[in-house]
Amino acid sequence: MAAIRFEKAQHWYPNAPSAAVAGMDLDIADGEFMVLVGPSGCGKSTTLRMLAGLEELTAGSIYLGDRDISTTAPKDRDIAMVFQNYALYPHMTVGGNMEFCLKNAGMSRDERKRRVAAAAETLGLTEYLDRKPKALSGGQRQRVAMGRAIVRNPQVFCMDEPLSNLDAKMRVQTRTDVAKLQRDLGVTTVYVTHDQTEAMTMGDRVGVMKDGVLQQVGAPMELYDRPANVFVAGFIGSPAMKFFDADVHDGSVTVGGHSMALAPFGGHDGPVVVGLRPEGWRLTAPGDGIAVTVGVVETLGADAYLYGTARVDGGDADVIARIGNRERVGTGDTVHVTADGPAIHLFDRATGERLS
Amino acid sequence: MTLHQPEQRAVTGPGEGQAAAPARRRPARRSGKAYLYVAPAFLVFAAFLGAPVVQTVQYSFYDWDGLGRSTAAGVSNYVSVFTDERLRDSFVHAGVLMLFYAAAPVVVGLFLSALISRAHAMRSMSFFRTVLFLPQVIATVVIATIWISIYSQDGLLNQTLRLVGLDSLSRVWLGDHTFALIAIGLVGTWLNIGLCLVLFLSGIGNIAPELFEAARLDGAGRAREFVAITLPSLRGQIAVALTLTVVSALKTFDLVFITTRGGPGNATSVPAFEAYNRAFNTGQVGLASAIAVVLTVVIVALTVSISRIAPRESE
Amino acid sequence: MNVSRTERIVNQLILVVFALFAVVPLLGVLLSSVTPASQNSGGFAIPDAVDFGNYGAAWSRGNFSSYLLSSVLVTAAVVILSVVLATFAGFAFARFDFRGSSVLFYLLLIGLTLPTEAFIIPLYFNLRTIGLTDTYWALILPQTAQSLAFAVFWMRNQFRGFPGEIIEAARLDGCSDLRLLWRVVVPPSLAPMMTMAVVITMWTWNEFLLPLVMVVSDSRRTAPLGLALFQGQHLTDYSLLAAAGVMVALPIAVLFFALQKRFINGMVGGISSR
Repeated sequence: MAAIRFEKAQHWYPNAPSAAVAGMDLDIADGEFMVLVGPSGCGKSTTLRMLAGLEELTAGSIYLGDRDISTTAPKDRDIAMVFQNYALYPHMTVGGNMEFCLKNAGMSRDERKRRVAAAAETLGLTEYLDRKPKALSGGQRQRVAMGRAIVRNPQVFCMDEPLSNLDAKMRVQTRTDVAKLQRDLGVTTVYVTHDQTEAMTMGDRVGVMKDGVLQQVGAPMELYDRPANVFVAGFIGSPAMKFFDADVHDGSVTVGGHSMALAPFGGHDGPVVVGLRPEGWRLTAPGDGIAVTVGVVETLGADAYLYGTARVDGGDADVIARIGNRERVGTGDTVHVTADGPAIHLFDRATGERLS
Repeated sequence: MTLHQPEQRAVTGPGEGQAAAPARRRPARRSGKAYLYVAPAFLVFAAFLGAPVVQTVQYSFYDWDGLGRSTAAGVSNYVSVFTDERLRDSFVHAGVLMLFYAAAPVVVGLFLSALISRAHAMRSMSFFRTVLFLPQVIATVVIATIWISIYSQDGLLNQTLRLVGLDSLSRVWLGDHTFALIAIGLVGTWLNIGLCLVLFLSGIGNIAPELFEAARLDGAGRAREFVAITLPSLRGQIAVALTLTVVSALKTFDLVFITTRGGPGNATSVPAFEAYNRAFNTGQVGLASAIAVVLTVVIVALTVSISRIAPRESE
Repeated sequence: MNVSRTERIVNQLILVVFALFAVVPLLGVLLSSVTPASQNSGGFAIPDAVDFGNYGAAWSRGNFSSYLLSSVLVTAAVVILSVVLATFAGFAFARFDFRGSSVLFYLLLIGLTLPTEAFIIPLYFNLRTIGLTDTYWALILPQTAQSLAFAVFWMRNQFRGFPGEIIEAARLDGCSDLRLLWRVVVPPSLAPMMTMAVVITMWTWNEFLLPLVMVVSDSRRTAPLGLALFQGQHLTDYSLLAAAGVMVALPIAVLFFALQKRFINGMVGGISSR
């Protein structure tokens, strides 16, 4: 069994005022593709490295199956890692890079050759086996890094932003390759990225982190539809959700002087933060919605996104609304938008927690 | 689905009874290995260099002929270093050599590199660099042999003088009371000019061309450009050049030993030679040690002062 | 940067002048070495007959075959010992965290600035007490100690700049510490190690004071020492002396021409007071 369990795992850098990773509790099922996502410095890479054994656990434990690997040496954890900068051995050939760890394990020559050939086949690297890393393109190097992880037949793959050094086109291509590979191999994978698109498209489940704390863990669409707090809501989804201060009164909320009915949510009247995704808004007649001054309209084929500002509470607030691609709206125009109850996200103004 | 509320935030700071980072559980294995790795090098270093250095200081406080018993001497050896005429002269000579070995080549090198400042970009530069640097790699004993013949009665120097009609100036240079030290100094100049030129030219090569262009636009002439831009940027190279050359002047031994053995008379005595001679020939080990200590202190002091010129790594 | 024609010519001229200045004495000794002894009065002259016999005489009569062999032995030993020891130590300083590492390192740095004179006197007497003077060890071990100051400093720098990720990848790949150092970190670092080796070779080969003090028997004399002795015996036999001098200097000169960039970078990079 290659299920992973983090139990109150912490990591503190020496002399740091706060934890890099604070009391993480996380369960990852066998064969699951778990993506950890968050902004720079949120602790996702540190968490990954703790799992691999490259950073030590200041407190707490990590279990692989029922083995406590908290103090086990990296090489004994049966975990393979794909590094952001690939970390290929520059003086060895591709084949040499891939068989290095098998050599260290004392595997016989024939067995090594067999495994390397199989992995090379899977990744399309067979003709490059005798080349050195400097003779390879970025995408090829990335595949070698993956190949190095695959030959080990490990219980877990750790991937630290493996796509971030590729150009945009390669990234999209490689994304699907990696996801497919993981499905075929069925190995538990923990994948770290700062790109929420990668997170949403690749993960079975996604964990959002901020400042060393796990904010929410769940299937991508769960995070999208029911974000646990303001941070997750604003991080997941592109274009991003926008927020407005507002007041709930009697089952409806007033934003920018316009009142919108809410879906029942079991909360009280009072001040809240309202969050709306672009697709939550719809164009409506004047007087029936919030006035928005249009800044820019970006037409993306089937959809168009309107970027504008509305006057809310005496200040200007950003509004992003999705509109049909045939609408004739231009810069400087004023449109009116409103939203229906189910599309309105409510968050506690003090804690940022989800209310509805 | 596991939903984790940001109440977890409470574990940072004073949570779970921890005011700061919890105690580490670090395998001590790593530390031990480090010492194992460093030990062999350090043992050799300590046994054959470190300990003897300390002993030199110890010896300097005794009188010993190297064979029999030693007698305590307090600071009398150090007093001798400053009062004995021959020893004092040796340090003065070292100072003179510094002018020839260090000051002259550095100044000439700077001047030349200002003159030909754009030479570093020329294709033939790598050939010149090799040739100019060549004297530095030849053993000093060989260099001494070469210059003995150059300074000899019918050697290259006298030949040249006769060629230009200055026959009257020709002499056996290394046997001449007035000129022997200068002759040795000039060997040092010959040795170090190439080094300085190479160092400075490559340093100039590292200065961003935009700086020169900006200066030119600001109306700076060659001289101004040199003083305001080139010189400051070369501080690092000047420090290196000075360090290498000043120290080589102070350490001069091979050259003096082979050419003049400190003679004629006292004319070319240098501290290193005096230390050697008194330790291994005249049975004054304590005094020799004191000379060595003073020499070392001077070298270290100068090295440290020169490094003040160099820009710190952060600049 | 466009260099005007006149400027280029002036540059070349000055460089040629100083290159000649540097090279003429060396050319002189080359010429002198092949000048028949009878014609040689010590000056710079192009001989009308070329006589290589001086080399033969220096080699056999002058015993330079033995001297050169000794030099090769001592130099090779010092280089190998220094490289191995410094690789281990430099790696530890660069990548391990241990108590006293700064202190130890600074001690080594101090060793860089010390002249031979600072330790040779007691060193001689120490070795005499244990009967090691006049042996190759008396030459190899102290010179290794001297080279180590530079070598450890150099290797630490190299290993500090080594990509940490590759080391982590190797650890994950199950690499033992020793394997990690010699199979993963050292191979890509061979070029700077070569530079260091080449500089140590030069310093060791050219060393004079140490052999002068330690060595008495002819069979252990190194080349520079042999030359000094020779010089004393053949004061005016300029051709013979020149031939001997060339033989002593040639190996390093050849190495220099073959690896110019390395030499220059290494010597300048090791702001050592040697």
